Amino acid sequence: MTPSTARTARAKAPPAKVAVITGASRGLGRVLAGFLAKQGTALVIDARGGAELQSAADDLRAFTPAVVAVRGDVRDARHRARLLKAAGEWGRIDVLVNNASDLGESPLPPLVEADRDRFLQVFDVNVLAPLALVREALPLLTRSHGLVVNITSDAAVGGYPGWGVYGASKAALELVTKTLAAELKERGVGVVSVDPGDMRTRMHQDAFPGQDISDRPLPDVTLPFWAWLLSQDPMAVSGGRYQAQAAVWEVPA
Amino acid sequence: MRRAELVFERPEGLFARTPPETRGRGRDDVRLLVTLPDGHRHARFEDLPQFLRAGDLLVVNESAAIPASLPAEGPIGRILLNLCTRFRSDLWVAEPRWSVGKPGPLPVHARDELHVGSSRVRLLSEYPGIPRLWFARAARPFESLAAELGGPIHYGYTDAWPMETYQTLFSRVPGSAEMPSAARPITSRIREALEAAGVRFAPILLHTGVSSLEIEGETVEAQAMYPEPFSVSREAADAVNRTHAAGGRVIAVGTTVVRALESAWTPEGVRPRIAYTRLFVNPDRGVHAVDGLLTGFHDPVTSHLALLGAFLGMDGVRDAYTEAVREGYLWHEFGDSHLVFASR
Repeated sequence: MTPSTARTARAKAPPAKVAVITGASRGLGRVLAGFLAKQGTALVIDARGGAELQSAADDLRAFTPAVVAVRGDVRDARHRARLLKAAGEWGRIDVLVNNASDLGESPLPPLVEADRDRFLQVFDVNVLAPLALVREALPLLTRSHGLVVNITSDAAVGGYPGWGVYGASKAALELVTKTLAAELKERGVGVVSVDPGDMRTRMHQDAFPGQDISDRPLPDVTLPFWAWLLSQDPMAVSGGRYQAQAAVWEVPA
Repeated sequence: MRRAELVFERPEGLFARTPPETRGRGRDDVRLLVTLPDGHRHARFEDLPQFLRAGDLLVVNESAAIPASLPAEGPIGRILLNLCTRFRSDLWVAEPRWSVGKPGPLPVHARDELHVGSSRVRLLSEYPGIPRLWFARAARPFESLAAELGGPIHYGYTDAWPMETYQTLFSRVPGSAEMPSAARPITSRIREALEAAGVRFAPILLHTGVSSLEIEGETVEAQAMYPEPFSVSREAADAVNRTHAAGGRVIAVGTTVVRALESAWTPEGVRPRIAYTRLFVNPDRGVHAVDGLLTGFHDPVTSHLALLGAFLGMDGVRDAYTEAVREGYLWHEFGDSHLVFASR
């Protein structure tokens, strides 16, 4: 056997764990993808931007050959079908992370001045697309007794000026999370909301254009939380809302 | 709080280098410094019942130390890999060290492969904010590697003793990287004397990681903490709340118990909780669930010292430690004991 066929054979061996992470070309999604790649988890990632996605995928392949990167928009059903086809070839989804999010207008507008079409688009990306991805991934999630992680924000509960559109979409996503958790319990699929907290990311910079955000931690501050969450039984945490930077992470009684 | 507030001078001669029972005495044959609002009392550990009252509750940690120090070999040669916090049997936070006496951080990198015995361990990522700790993944369960190849975590001031040296009367559930050592002097004899005095016991579980962190930045509260798994049962939570309702005092036996009970505390009282905690108990936060602490003597510039400050205030800590140094109390896991009460 030549070295190159040996590598191909290894890449095609079914991986023990498969994760699908949307919006993984930078920020939180990229850091989480890297952490899972180092643990040998097979990854399906997406992003709208091609160059950044390619560079993220190249980085991940230093840790595992099992990386599929698909460029596209989570609102697009054909794009979602491509993501799930890739995961389907591995036969399972252990973790689906709905991380891709739309902040809306930047700078953030007061709610009474918010553009209606952008409002609808934010809901489309942040609520309807994650729900569609869960619906379409359900057979694979059910087979693997997987965990769906919906990335939320403290804006979902804050009522902060300017954050109304984004916050409302995340509040809706959190209710979707709780409802899905109850509805998918019988299938053995867990669903949680995770608020990663303030981080030094592009999205956070877009929310505070021109401001110095260097006092915020880098997204790797959330790694201990991911190590914890992804070591729990999905059913034990299902329905929960977690803060990745909190002092305590609890399994509900 | 500034880092400088946690600095104090303590001669190396005050390190306890051997367990008291090997110095020809019993485990309970250690000294007890009691810090009260009106000053300090110098006592023997067997005098502990005199400083407690009927109706007080001693909360103990049932976690047992495991042989968490593993010999490892990697790209930089032979090192030690000290296990710290378990997430799964194949995923822990661990501390790569040069040796018992020489800590890291080591020049290691993500993806570095270590050999522990015949098994492979891969370093994944640095722990954010604590450069000497790494996430590590093993091809075999770390617990079985530890059972086969590990020894007790210890540091330069003392040798490795047999594992039973690191267990207490209450050790029941294996999982701590280091001994929760505060209960070490509580022998059956001491426990019986306490029970005869009307003091009751309740257990919690917290698997402690590697030694109290040295604060690295200038601002103490900004120190990153690593998580520790704990559980507070319904029975333990009820015992704490009943003690408070009856006017008794809840005394934590060890900093691990403070961390667990304070992490389970709500304004309505302590509630049952199974979780991981990174709670940093310090003077700003104070303590709510516990009224007193039985502990050892802690190193300068550590998070444990800030925890002690939550009971005494930092001026109180400095005053007590000045007294302890002057009177020659012994530091570390085989050393003397210190009983403090929260100023309320």
